[in-house]
Amino acid sequence: MIYDVCIIGSGAGGSPIAYELSNAGFDVVVLEKGKYYKEEDFSKDEIAVSRRNKFTPDLKDEKHIINEIAQDGSISRYDGYEYSWSFWNGSMVGGSSNLMSGYFHRLKPNDFKLKSVYGEIDGANVVDWPISYDELEPYYEKVERVVGVSGKIKKHKFLEPRSTTEFPYVKLEENGVTAWFDKACEELGFESFATPRAILPGDALNRKGCSYSNFCGSFACATGAKGGARAALLQKCDAKIISEAFVYKLYSDDVSVKKAYYYDKDKNSHTIEAKIFVLAAQAIESSRLLLNSANKHFPNGLANSNKQVGKNLIFSAGGSGEGRFDFKDLDIKQQKSLMQTGLFFNRSLQNDYEFESGGKKYKGGTTDFLFEHQNLLPRVTREFYDDEGDIIWGDELRDKIHKSITSSRRLSFEVFNDWLPTDRCFVSVDDKEKDMYGVHVGVINLYGHPHDLEVGEHLAQKAVDILEKMGTRDINYSISSSPPSNLVAGGCRFGDDPKTSVLDKNCKAHELNNLYVTDASFMPTGGSVPYTWTIYANSFRVAEIIKKELS
Amino acid sequence: MFSRRKFLKAGFLGSIIFISNGCGAFSATTPKETLTLLQEDLFPHANTMGINTKKYMQIILKHSRVSDEDKEFIKNGVKWLNEDAVLLFDTTYVKLPYTKRQEVLKNISKTKWGKGFIRDNLTYIMEASFCDPVYGVANGQGWEWLDFKVGLPQPKEAYL
Repeated sequence: MIYDVCIIGSGAGGSPIAYELSNAGFDVVVLEKGKYYKEEDFSKDEIAVSRRNKFTPDLKDEKHIINEIAQDGSISRYDGYEYSWSFWNGSMVGGSSNLMSGYFHRLKPNDFKLKSVYGEIDGANVVDWPISYDELEPYYEKVERVVGVSGKIKKHKFLEPRSTTEFPYVKLEENGVTAWFDKACEELGFESFATPRAILPGDALNRKGCSYSNFCGSFACATGAKGGARAALLQKCDAKIISEAFVYKLYSDDVSVKKAYYYDKDKNSHTIEAKIFVLAAQAIESSRLLLNSANKHFPNGLANSNKQVGKNLIFSAGGSGEGRFDFKDLDIKQQKSLMQTGLFFNRSLQNDYEFESGGKKYKGGTTDFLFEHQNLLPRVTREFYDDEGDIIWGDELRDKIHKSITSSRRLSFEVFNDWLPTDRCFVSVDDKEKDMYGVHVGVINLYGHPHDLEVGEHLAQKAVDILEKMGTRDINYSISSSPPSNLVAGGCRFGDDPKTSVLDKNCKAHELNNLYVTDASFMPTGGSVPYTWTIYANSFRVAEIIKKELS
Repeated sequence: MFSRRKFLKAGFLGSIIFISNGCGAFSATTPKETLTLLQEDLFPHANTMGINTKKYMQIILKHSRVSDEDKEFIKNGVKWLNEDAVLLFDTTYVKLPYTKRQEVLKNISKTKWGKGFIRDNLTYIMEASFCDPVYGVANGQGWEWLDFKVGLPQPKEAYL
């Protein structure tokens, strides 16, 4: 059988294509490396999910090589298995969107023209996107309706233009401490707003509403309220999904992809033929597959005659911080409010999405605020050390744990700013190391531009101002070039110039007439927000293009 | 330091380990009795709550997603702990009174391996104390102690 469309990867990049094309009557097959779990398989088992990494590959079977490049150009090489350094997110039908927190922000219009608006930056490959915000806006709106985004629009100086006045779903219920936060922001002259979430507050879209289970990010949703790709899209279409299918090679002639080769769980090889292939295996793995698919027509890897595949890999720059509310600073009513569990904190700040310093205009970013994750073990193990950093045990440890957990709570913040694309940050393939399938592993060459740290620091200081105003103790933060493995993009940037980009503006490979890449690989710059909403929106946009082509 | 010696893999918990004081004299103990006493010394409240940390360590030593290196470190740590006890007090850890065992722990906590060994053991004790009842080692006592509201749904089966 020759399918109309073969999609490799079932996450946020692939699922909108599967949903749209199969619902339009086309034959669609989705190849997913991970298992097919459904709502009834999910629980809040901290040991399984967070300690034993149930939903990501075992690093002894599948790993990456990481080359960390310092500012002086020196390189430190790390074997992902030896150093327990994982870049896997969610290996399952629906991908890591099952496990996301669902903090949904759109890019701003200026994010599509970073070079034109803010100018070049030495050592960075900043470019404008080949499409504008206006072209993507209808698809952002579509995601709100189809995937389900809840929130409350509040006008602020960087609110992006919208074709609708309000979110289709009302905002989630909030913890009382959000009122303290809003008051502090008001006093500081900051414009806080309720964080939009890809979570349904009540039953809708043939899915159950949020159960306020107290565990959201990092855990798959047992009600289907979270707008992961499986719950929101794949379970609502009849695309054929083949799980535990690891695609190891794409076979092409000089103009088009003909077949995808995959191994099943028993390492038996199979092939799929299709008219159109859509690659959406996550940014690092998509580049790896193209590079590992080199043939006589494309000796550098598929779609890689210009040697751009894997280049300009980006993450989200920034970092995180926290402050601690202590019972001794609060009255009884405030203590009760603080310890309310289940309800969301959901506050964001984009006051400095753009800012001026020294007479120059800078692109800033977003700061999301949330209570520390409810997982007990990180909160307990943090208490293993005294003020001098010496490890403690026995009754001293018992009392320290009990006091910390029962009479204080930490408010965290996460800073998102642009990770500038550079020549030093890219994906390649190791010529020796192989995974359990015998396929060469991906190499992640990591480099963070110093500019990213300056911007992150600026944003973090504003967050610290708020935490101080709220009266929290032990405020600390870290802005660094450590890459968040769940916020990765680039590697197959789209653009109008075939010499400097892998994909055209429709996310089709310049060099192949039937290969599209629709995970975050296409993004030439990342914006200063989590990527998922933009990945979904762009994938819905490309689905329209493919639909027209097949029709 | 972590990889300075390899240790017997088969039947680890019930096996006999022999410790030399460097002068030809030997002492013997089993990993099971050492780990049991060590964990009681590190966090007696787990025992007070009725947490079955011994069973949890059996789970960890067989777990498919605990790396061989981490398992090896537990095994080596038991041997090194006893070696340090013999060096300090001329007998194995389990034969020492409480105050001297505490001295041994303070002594090893100043070393890189010792700090890591205590941290790992405490971490496994905490996992045992706060894991779901489906693992068969706790029944929510730890959650109750910390007034912790467990996330729902709870797992139907243990992930091993």
